[in-house]
Amino acid sequence: MILAADPLLSGPVGLPEVLIVLLKVGAAFAFLLVSVMLMIWFERKLLGGMHQRMGPTIAGPWGVLQTLADGIKLFFKEDLIPDRSDRLVFKLAPYLSLVPAFLVFVIVPLGGDFAGGSGVVRWWGRDTYLQVADPPVGVLLFLAMSSVAVYGVMLAGWSSGSKYPLLGSVRASAQMVSYEAALGLAVAAVVLMAGSLSTHDMVLAQAGPGYFGIIPSWNIVLTGFVPFVVFAVAGTAELNRPPFDLVEAEQELVGGFHTEYSSIRFALFYLAEFMNTITMSAVIVTLFLGGPSGPVLIGAIDWAWGVIWFSVKLFAFLFGFVWMRATLPRFRYDQLMDLGWKLLIPLSLGWFLFLAALETGRDRGWNLAVVTVVTVAGFVLAGFLLAGALASARRGGDRFGPGGGGDDGDDGDDGDDGEPRDRVLEEAG
Amino acid sequence: MLGQYLPLLALGALAAVFAAGSFLASGLLAPRRPTRPKLEPYECGIVPARDTPERFPVRFFLVAMIFIVFDIEIILFYPYAVARGGLGLFGLVAVMIFTFAVFESFVYLVGAGALEWGPPRRASARPGAVSAERTSASTVRRVGLEGRRYGAPEDESARMAPSAGGPAPGEAA
Repeated sequence: MILAADPLLSGPVGLPEVLIVLLKVGAAFAFLLVSVMLMIWFERKLLGGMHQRMGPTIAGPWGVLQTLADGIKLFFKEDLIPDRSDRLVFKLAPYLSLVPAFLVFVIVPLGGDFAGGSGVVRWWGRDTYLQVADPPVGVLLFLAMSSVAVYGVMLAGWSSGSKYPLLGSVRASAQMVSYEAALGLAVAAVVLMAGSLSTHDMVLAQAGPGYFGIIPSWNIVLTGFVPFVVFAVAGTAELNRPPFDLVEAEQELVGGFHTEYSSIRFALFYLAEFMNTITMSAVIVTLFLGGPSGPVLIGAIDWAWGVIWFSVKLFAFLFGFVWMRATLPRFRYDQLMDLGWKLLIPLSLGWFLFLAALETGRDRGWNLAVVTVVTVAGFVLAGFLLAGALASARRGGDRFGPGGGGDDGDDGDDGDDGEPRDRVLEEAG
Repeated sequence: MLGQYLPLLALGALAAVFAAGSFLASGLLAPRRPTRPKLEPYECGIVPARDTPERFPVRFFLVAMIFIVFDIEIILFYPYAVARGGLGLFGLVAVMIFTFAVFESFVYLVGAGALEWGPPRRASARPGAVSAERTSASTVRRVGLEGRRYGAPEDESARMAPSAGGPAPGEAA
């Protein structure tokens, strides 16, 4: 097993190493804050364009400084802690939301020449990667931090002592927890292809020459597109962004879990939310789109091309997130849970096994067509099982609540009224 | 090996300091004029008449419990995914058996209706009026049933928050 690590910190750590680390950390911190500022402006401007309005125009050229102005304004706003709140937890929750949002970013490789070299850059006589840290647990850190972020949301809503935040946070926790399973399974498929948890190794594994000269050997191709789609959908749900923004459904829940937060405490939640959007896009790019890998076109600074390719890919996803917000209506809660539990999780579970079987078959020289046929048969069987279970659930009512369970007298018409679910299942099977 | 986590520690500390500094700056710059209505729970401008609910539909807890099962499965998938090359056919079969065990219990849960979130399909076919209490089957709180034969929990007037400035709307009647 390869336990990859940043060569900078593999040896003895002296003053130069610490200085380089501090430089990287400072750069990442500044990059995140500035990019959040630009992202909020970009989102507002683009939404404005899609709604045929102007968006922000006053502060700075094209309104670029609007976010900064809003942030400064929030410092001067009264900071209220409601009487009913649990004061300690109320104050703790923004930290639990913000710190993980920063920490996830460390595993994202930002640049480096992966096509020619191994992504190592040499600064002041020290070899290092163009990413803040490359811990051996790699992508598990991303999953761990997104789990911690659930605590921030949950505790913020719970400690407010108010009903809308509480409802919002319970919804948010259930939603984030549900989609985390699908997210984890999609990541497992990538880990299977790379054979390592380190994000640097994953990018390195994707930096191959590709097929037929045009199809890159990125994980989006190698894992057969399905884990990418699952990850993108689950990631959007994990971020609570439209069309999965039930957590902040204004019409029902006012502001969701941060209704009672005002002033700078609210600003930190907002900051964390947009930071998570940027980081999630960066993680998608890293896991599925080869991260900074790309051809060095002109010039001699090969690591800079990595940064350029990474930025282009990142920007495409950020644009996509805003586009989805402008286009898609919000899901209903039961649709959200059905999509997560009854389609994405079984699908990504089956796909992981399919990939594992294919890889094992490739190692042992099996006929891969047979493996595929057997897998398809397994998918159909599992789909039928699940369809049967769904039909039984609809017939039998709810055995987990009072008043359900017993009455299955008039279920003659049940076969027809659940069409959306049936359609969903056919795609799974 | 732990040196690899040094940047993490540094960035985490920096983020925490940034948040604490923001709170400090806000504390120095922002006005403090708390009034009674400002400190009440938010209720769209009206005086809060009902306390925050203390109970939740069981479904949310159920989802958390089912999630743990899948989380354990995922936790066991990662070592397999990393070490797949060395495990060969044995590993594949073991993972298949394990997945079958989890999937089978998942199918049972789906079949038992643990993951049905939709509104009750035949609500109108049920006899009589529906209780105003929330149940695990329905998160809909049916208003307008207070004082009727069905529903209207007895301790409703006791739970109406007397904390508001004036008398709660319910007490006028």
